[in-house]
Amino acid sequence: MRWSMVIDLDKCVACQGCSIACRFENNTPAVKPSEALKGRAVRWNDVFPMPINPTEVTGEYPNVQTRYLTRPCMHCDNPPCIKVCPVQATFKDEEGLVRQNYARCIGCRFCTVACPYGVRYFNWHVPEWSVETLHDFAWQNRTSLPLPATSVPAPEYANPDRIEGEGDLEGPAIRPKGVVEKCTFCVHRLQKARARAEAEGRAFRADEYVPACVQTCTGKARFFGDLDDPRSTVSLLAKSPRAFRLLEDVGTHPKVIYLREW
Amino acid sequence: MAAPLTRRQFLKLAATAGGSAAVAGGLQTLLAGGTASASGGALVTSANETIVPGVCLLCSSGCGILARVVDGHVVKLEGNPMHPINLGALCPKGQAAPELLYNPDRLTGPMKQAGARGSDNWQPISWDEAVQRVARKLSDLRAAGHPERAALMHGEARGQLRSFFEYFMQVVGSPNVISRESLNVAAAKLGVYLTQGVYDLPAYDLENSKYVLAFGASLLEAGRVPQRMVSGISYLRRGRADRGKVVVIDPRQGVSGAKADEWIPIAPGTDAALALGIAHVIIRAGLVDSDFIHNYGFGFEDFPDDAGKVLHQGFKSFVLENYDPARVEEITGVTATTISRLAGEFAGNKPAVAVLPGKGGLLNGSINGLYAAMAIHTLNGLVGSIDVRGGVLTQRYFPCVEWPALPADPAAEAGRALERVDGAGTQFPLARHAYQAVADRVLAGDSLEALFLYDANPAYEAPGGARFIEAFDKIPFVVSFASFLDESAQYADLVLPEPTFLERYQDDAIEGLGYPGVGLRQPVIPPRYDTLNTGDFLLRVAQAMGDPVAGALPWKTYDKVIQYRLRGINTDWETLKELGVWITPGYRFARRGSEKWIGEVVGRDRALAPRDGRFDFYSRELNCLIGGRTTEELNAFGLSQTGDAVFLPHHEPVTDAGDPAEFPFRLNVITLMSLGPVGAAANMPTLQEISGMTVGETWDSWLEMNPEAAKKLGLRDKDPVWVESPFGKAKTKVRLVKALRPDVVNLPYNQGHTAIGRWAKDRGVNGVALLTPASEPVSGLAAFTNTRVKVYRG
Repeated sequence: MRWSMVIDLDKCVACQGCSIACRFENNTPAVKPSEALKGRAVRWNDVFPMPINPTEVTGEYPNVQTRYLTRPCMHCDNPPCIKVCPVQATFKDEEGLVRQNYARCIGCRFCTVACPYGVRYFNWHVPEWSVETLHDFAWQNRTSLPLPATSVPAPEYANPDRIEGEGDLEGPAIRPKGVVEKCTFCVHRLQKARARAEAEGRAFRADEYVPACVQTCTGKARFFGDLDDPRSTVSLLAKSPRAFRLLEDVGTHPKVIYLREW
Repeated sequence: MAAPLTRRQFLKLAATAGGSAAVAGGLQTLLAGGTASASGGALVTSANETIVPGVCLLCSSGCGILARVVDGHVVKLEGNPMHPINLGALCPKGQAAPELLYNPDRLTGPMKQAGARGSDNWQPISWDEAVQRVARKLSDLRAAGHPERAALMHGEARGQLRSFFEYFMQVVGSPNVISRESLNVAAAKLGVYLTQGVYDLPAYDLENSKYVLAFGASLLEAGRVPQRMVSGISYLRRGRADRGKVVVIDPRQGVSGAKADEWIPIAPGTDAALALGIAHVIIRAGLVDSDFIHNYGFGFEDFPDDAGKVLHQGFKSFVLENYDPARVEEITGVTATTISRLAGEFAGNKPAVAVLPGKGGLLNGSINGLYAAMAIHTLNGLVGSIDVRGGVLTQRYFPCVEWPALPADPAAEAGRALERVDGAGTQFPLARHAYQAVADRVLAGDSLEALFLYDANPAYEAPGGARFIEAFDKIPFVVSFASFLDESAQYADLVLPEPTFLERYQDDAIEGLGYPGVGLRQPVIPPRYDTLNTGDFLLRVAQAMGDPVAGALPWKTYDKVIQYRLRGINTDWETLKELGVWITPGYRFARRGSEKWIGEVVGRDRALAPRDGRFDFYSRELNCLIGGRTTEELNAFGLSQTGDAVFLPHHEPVTDAGDPAEFPFRLNVITLMSLGPVGAAANMPTLQEISGMTVGETWDSWLEMNPEAAKKLGLRDKDPVWVESPFGKAKTKVRLVKALRPDVVNLPYNQGHTAIGRWAKDRGVNGVALLTPASEPVSGLAAFTNTRVKVYRG
């Protein structure tokens, strides 16, 4: 199998549901406002206007067309990020997923520079969801108010799923400070779906798994499946005259395929 | 389970066990271009996991959710694929809901103000004490013969709750259950009421429409049911063989305009003129549905009065006389060519629908907004798009079991027959609710002795909200059911927190698809704190008050109330809990003129005009309500027209709040997909982080302005600015947005809180505080769009 995602920009409404579904599936922390302003927010799938500064949109009022892009990892068939990793913390698996092993990552950030899509995120801080981390302005002294009994050291709502072993830590696992993380096409969901099929004693089918962003898409703009199967939805859509890939000319061969609006 | 290796441990291990060779080996692989798998891990997941359905409440869509609960913690929400509004999808607000449930600023139990109002001197109390205090207050009011001096203001009271509040207050003896709808959806509802005779938001069969003309208020982000609109538009575009066209008419492009096939920037407050210009071309070109307008419409042609003496002007001659495209171009700024083209496309691509903004926003100005809503909806009548495939649907609801008969209780009967404290139906003849007017009327001397706030934060969300804090001083007993200490709850005497929508029972009437449906909220985990469902609380209050109140409200808990009311839906409670939703899909259209048409589709809710199944091009209901008034009286209503024009959809020039010479811009307060309409969402870090995606802002407010307008003021992108209206001023930063009319500026809603919690408080500015506090004299609508501002460097 060769996992691929198709995003129809004609159906996308730039709601950012994908972005936040990813956050809660994969335990990416909200960062404090000052860090967000520096562009250090960690959203493996980000949504933004094109061009990013609205004043640079071509055309003059009223002939102005604003565009938005939603961008997960491209899961390139020829990913530049894995070539520069000195410790093989990032790798492409046999089904084409570009994965990230936090346990091996030494935080050199070569990969964040090598990726032409900017989809790799460095953990500048200990990922904490506690009051203190997010709260970089004075918490008013309201002692008379009944406050929650426990202040939350790690989120109670963290997804417990992860991939774990000797020298291996992947997926939604809570990351230490100083490692790089990225979209995995929710590899843990794939493994869960496989485990389920195995437990039920049957063969695993490609349509048993989608990443969280695909599941939540409000405009039903996302499709996911096996590019090796010529009858799969993604294979059919990949042949659409509307299909294009980001930065096709740099030779990365992305497996995220967009359908243009027109 | 082996503990995972950390990066440090791994490096340590590598160093002690001759790991340098391993690293060198890794490098060799790298240089050889190999991609050997480095994964030796196995899946670790939860053993103890359940999936529990519910319904989201972070906007008014009411999307079905499935909560993944692991070891008693809600770790993820997904859309419920069985729920017809969202069909398995979920927007960022719903996805971020764990931050609401586990929010550190939630109130943890009932409390009373021990010091002066607003002194923040809260003392925990027990629920029993809370019940006793409220019961005693209401009993005292009844004993004093003034039960009408109790009022309940509410925001989203979903499902049976709205009706339950009304029943409870009627039993107590008060007519005062006041909905927030005068701040948002009432304008559109009244537009439909005065034409089609149904007091509700229409549903639109977008899946089968060929052409969608969406007026105002960003339908994909800020409507009554944005997720329903997204689902429908998505299908209209790429879900079927023939792609429909979507046109968005709005001074601001926004996400909806950007994602539409065409964006028509329009002068703010002139939607009525544009709709009537389109009607003009349709009529002149003979593209009307003549069966509909003649056999099932009223007042299209000129008509004689009952005595046969006076000839009244009908819609056709009125529109042909007054709204030729050249004149409409002058009013709206939309060229005559475009108007003619839109008319041709609209009438030539049936089924077509003209969509009203579900957020009143752009409609609520002066009385202008009311006529705009009528004019927009009349376009649907013109082309016969009422109750047809691809057109306007009339929302149906499950028949609920009636409430028990009100007990014989003279005190209550007298009380509930009295005038409402918001003046709806009296001061504001057309209004059903005038939420924002409560403050004015209390300050002007109306007696109110107990005020209950349910999902109501008027001090923040109503224009001129500061008046409410003053008004509270005249009300001896103020109770808030808020889950967070919001701007209004801060000044209450009792705060009796309700659990979040993930921890309580509440049903939800599904809106936006036409056919009836019920969603169910239930505690997906037990309530985290000492909170109580407001329905449960009021039932306990009723018991404490004794008969006749107690006898009329015999249920022990609110979920029993829901079960009682929903007995007619043909499913059992356990199945409803298991599925989270119950629908009878399939909308059944009514044949024109049939019994079903008259009883359900056209004229159903008319109070005064005949329920004859005729769609009013000339509003008989309005005629019954404000007909026969003198010119002076009409002028006092803000009307420039007299005679038949008053009852026909027409363009009224907007009455400005602020002198255009001093205040050159119109202020538009926009609702964002990210922060949405619910105050608590501003205290969710994830939503703050993504709030300003369209302009690259985060955790803050911004003012959107056209670059040409900014250049004239010498302002550059991101400059600090003051935004000043005659009613207040606020400092923020300006962001230049090309896709915006140069005479309009926008401020996003749901920032600038002074309370709620650590992340919401003291962040950005509240645009609503700059708006005129006036109410529209006929409809009681809050004026949201006629406030003018000036902008200068801060």
